[in-house]
Amino acid sequence: MLFVILLLICAGAALLARPVLLMGGRFGAPLLALAPLAAFVLLARQQPTIAAGEVILASYTWVPSLGVDFSFRLDGFSLLFSLLITGIGTLVTLYAGAYFAEKPRATAGRFLSLILLFMTAMLGTVLADNLVVMFLFWEATSLLSFLLVGFDSEKAEARKAALQALIVTGGGGLALFASILLIGLSLGTFSYTEVIARSDELVASPWLVPIIVLMLLGAFTKSAQVPFQFWLPNAMQAPTPASAYLHSATMVKLGVFLLARFDHVFATVPWFGATLVIVGSLTMLVASFEALRATGFKAVLAQSTVASLGILVMLIGLNGEVAVVATVGFLITHAFYKAALFFCAGNAIHATGEAHLGRLGGLARVLPFTALAAVLASFSMAGLPPFIGFISKEYLFEAQLSSGWNAIPVVIAVIVNSVMVGVAGIVSIRPFFLNRRRTPKVRHGETPGLLIGPLTLALGGIALGIVPNVVAVTLIGPAVLALTGIPVDVSFSLWHGVTPMLVLSGVVITMGVLLAVFWTPIHIRLRRRRILHGLFGDRFYDKVFNGTLNLASTSTRILQNGDQHRYTAVVMASVVVILGLGLLLAGNGAPISATGPLRISVLAVLVLAAVGAIATTLTRSLVGALVSVGIVGFASALIFLLNGAPDLALTQFAVETLLVVILTAVLLRLPVKREHTRLPRERRRDAILASLFAVFVFIGAASMSSAPPDMELSLFFGANSYLEAYGRNVVNVILVDFRAIDTLGEVAVVAFATLAAWALLRRRSTPTKPAKG
Amino acid sequence: MPIIFATMSRVFFALMLVGSLFILMRGHNDPGGGFVGGLMAAAAFSTLALTSGVGSVRRMLRIHPVVLVGVGLSIACLSGIPGLVSDASYLTHWWTSGALHLGTATIFDIGVYLVVLGGVLCLVLRLYEEVAP
Repeated sequence: MLFVILLLICAGAALLARPVLLMGGRFGAPLLALAPLAAFVLLARQQPTIAAGEVILASYTWVPSLGVDFSFRLDGFSLLFSLLITGIGTLVTLYAGAYFAEKPRATAGRFLSLILLFMTAMLGTVLADNLVVMFLFWEATSLLSFLLVGFDSEKAEARKAALQALIVTGGGGLALFASILLIGLSLGTFSYTEVIARSDELVASPWLVPIIVLMLLGAFTKSAQVPFQFWLPNAMQAPTPASAYLHSATMVKLGVFLLARFDHVFATVPWFGATLVIVGSLTMLVASFEALRATGFKAVLAQSTVASLGILVMLIGLNGEVAVVATVGFLITHAFYKAALFFCAGNAIHATGEAHLGRLGGLARVLPFTALAAVLASFSMAGLPPFIGFISKEYLFEAQLSSGWNAIPVVIAVIVNSVMVGVAGIVSIRPFFLNRRRTPKVRHGETPGLLIGPLTLALGGIALGIVPNVVAVTLIGPAVLALTGIPVDVSFSLWHGVTPMLVLSGVVITMGVLLAVFWTPIHIRLRRRRILHGLFGDRFYDKVFNGTLNLASTSTRILQNGDQHRYTAVVMASVVVILGLGLLLAGNGAPISATGPLRISVLAVLVLAAVGAIATTLTRSLVGALVSVGIVGFASALIFLLNGAPDLALTQFAVETLLVVILTAVLLRLPVKREHTRLPRERRRDAILASLFAVFVFIGAASMSSAPPDMELSLFFGANSYLEAYGRNVVNVILVDFRAIDTLGEVAVVAFATLAAWALLRRRSTPTKPAKG
Repeated sequence: MPIIFATMSRVFFALMLVGSLFILMRGHNDPGGGFVGGLMAAAAFSTLALTSGVGSVRRMLRIHPVVLVGVGLSIACLSGIPGLVSDASYLTHWWTSGALHLGTATIFDIGVYLVVLGGVLCLVLRLYEEVAP
């Protein structure tokens, strides 16, 4: 029940967001925030059970025949994630309410509804035990991030970034799905619990390499690893509350979540870890470099998120329990400071309307509490004592030193962490305390709603650093237990004595401070080098994207040239070729034989139809052609009737009648005589094609009907139609009952095709209004 | 428009509409069903549109034909829910017991009827407007 209640609370709040905001006014957002808060409390109450080493499992049948059930699993790791998701979700809801205070309430309602849906999808992903269910929620986060990133849909950049995020993460999701299917194929189960239990079987599977490669694709795209890192910085087009959520607790951490989950499963595959270390390190380097070049407040933060994700991926790749502890510790630390910093960035941008970091300064005078939160959060980011960031950085270095790797990852980590220190200085000290002359005009001050989020998280960062053992025992320990399967003694403390890690920390902080001081000259020099522009950016993505569009427009120009004659000719020629090939390959198929007596009635109708067809080709009057074609149609309806298919006949009659009714109106406006637009040569070619078509269709149909028909289905439907569906008309019973889902699909296709045609038939005389956003 | 056709079209319209409903309802046991019924109803409205004009048909319908498509599709989708609840299988139909078997299959067919009717009508009315404004 726990899982159902959790998901229902979040999804229910998402559905109610708009009406609550419309009616609740100022109190709408705090009221809504109660929902994630309730989920948070509910989850927190499970902590003692989980800490005792238990795993809460629950399952609800969904598609048992495919082994897909709504099964959920709450262990230490998913508890940690869900607490982050709901906890930061609560703060984001509160913050968004204040952030959108000046906007129309309906806009705020739409945004909060999306955020809460996003939270539901995230919760579902981390709680799902069945991998297929997890994939469904995973894809839902991709879709919702598309809607959130493109929330300001009037802005072209927002739409482009949204599409890019969707294509990259959605494409990766497909790879992940293939990987999940292969796991199911190898083990016969989609349950993660069983996958860990039988990990040695999975490793022995012949599909191991594709499974891992596809899973890595899914995780790297989602968590913005090289070479897919470009979408995340672009995704800061989202409104700031969404960015805070997207970057800290949700979405991009999912790839990390998946890798951490499967690190234990693939523990005996050495290249799995090695790939993670290499890709993670590359990502860290590229992102640190780009962070130095970035100019926007949010852009710098976004690049530092990519670097942090690289750190996490690298840590998962390292072997040893210390690395797992470091991963979990850094996950928490990063969620705290990154969400807080995005909130602060949001406050600064919201207050001034200026997103360029270089044009902000001296904001501490007007946004004192924001400045405080920014400083606290950035100190945690920089890894200064006594913040939680310090402890997690010590663990990072310890994990690297105790792993089997050489010094290269350590060097990279030192460089990257120095840049993080630099970024910390640049996003907190400079905009809030330096450059006082540059203070822009402030439009809105701080409101309580804008401060709860950053202050809670920033103060939380320092509280966790001062009493680190609380979080170590309650959350990190159980999470590590869930990931490694063995209890690990997690002792978090600020002072470990003079260790190699402390020395490295000292180096990092010194280099970082230097970077922060000389940030501007470095930044300017790096930006001047034209060659660096777009080096690690989305140039490749753009090429593929535009190439696809060009291919589409080229092929459309060739295939859809607007000449109906040509379309018909292409279709008929293809049918002739396919049928001809089929007949050739079938070779010794059933010989064409005619059995049964010659039926005069059928022959008469067929002659009538032939007369109609020939008359159509000869007549030059449009009405005449319509009548002649109508004869063919009615004749085929008669054939159906004579062969015991009254339903088909009835439909055919109705269609023919309707056609006459429709065309009558059209014909009133057309010239009675049509002009010949075809040359005699073209007409000869048409005639040959049509004759060939007729001959091949005849041979195909005749040989099909000479083969003895398989009566099994007919007999089944005939026998069960009345017994099971209480209908004597077998055709109708099949349509509405036995194969009702097919009919539903067909009706939906009819509906959407009609809608599309209807939209194309818009009257051209009325000027088209620009579509509403 | 010939006066005989114009006068008779109203009679035809009523007959065809009733006929279409008859075909829809008898579909379960005899030739017919939602698809043919919908086509016939669309023919009825189109005939009326030919004589009385598109405007009067639109007024008579009160709602836009596109809405009919949506309503029909929703009805067809919803008719499967009871089966999902009771048998955990979508579109497994419910039936009344007794001599007269009525069930959610009929509701499904009504949905099909409305989709076809609405779909054809929104195209036909548009075409007529395009041709004879």
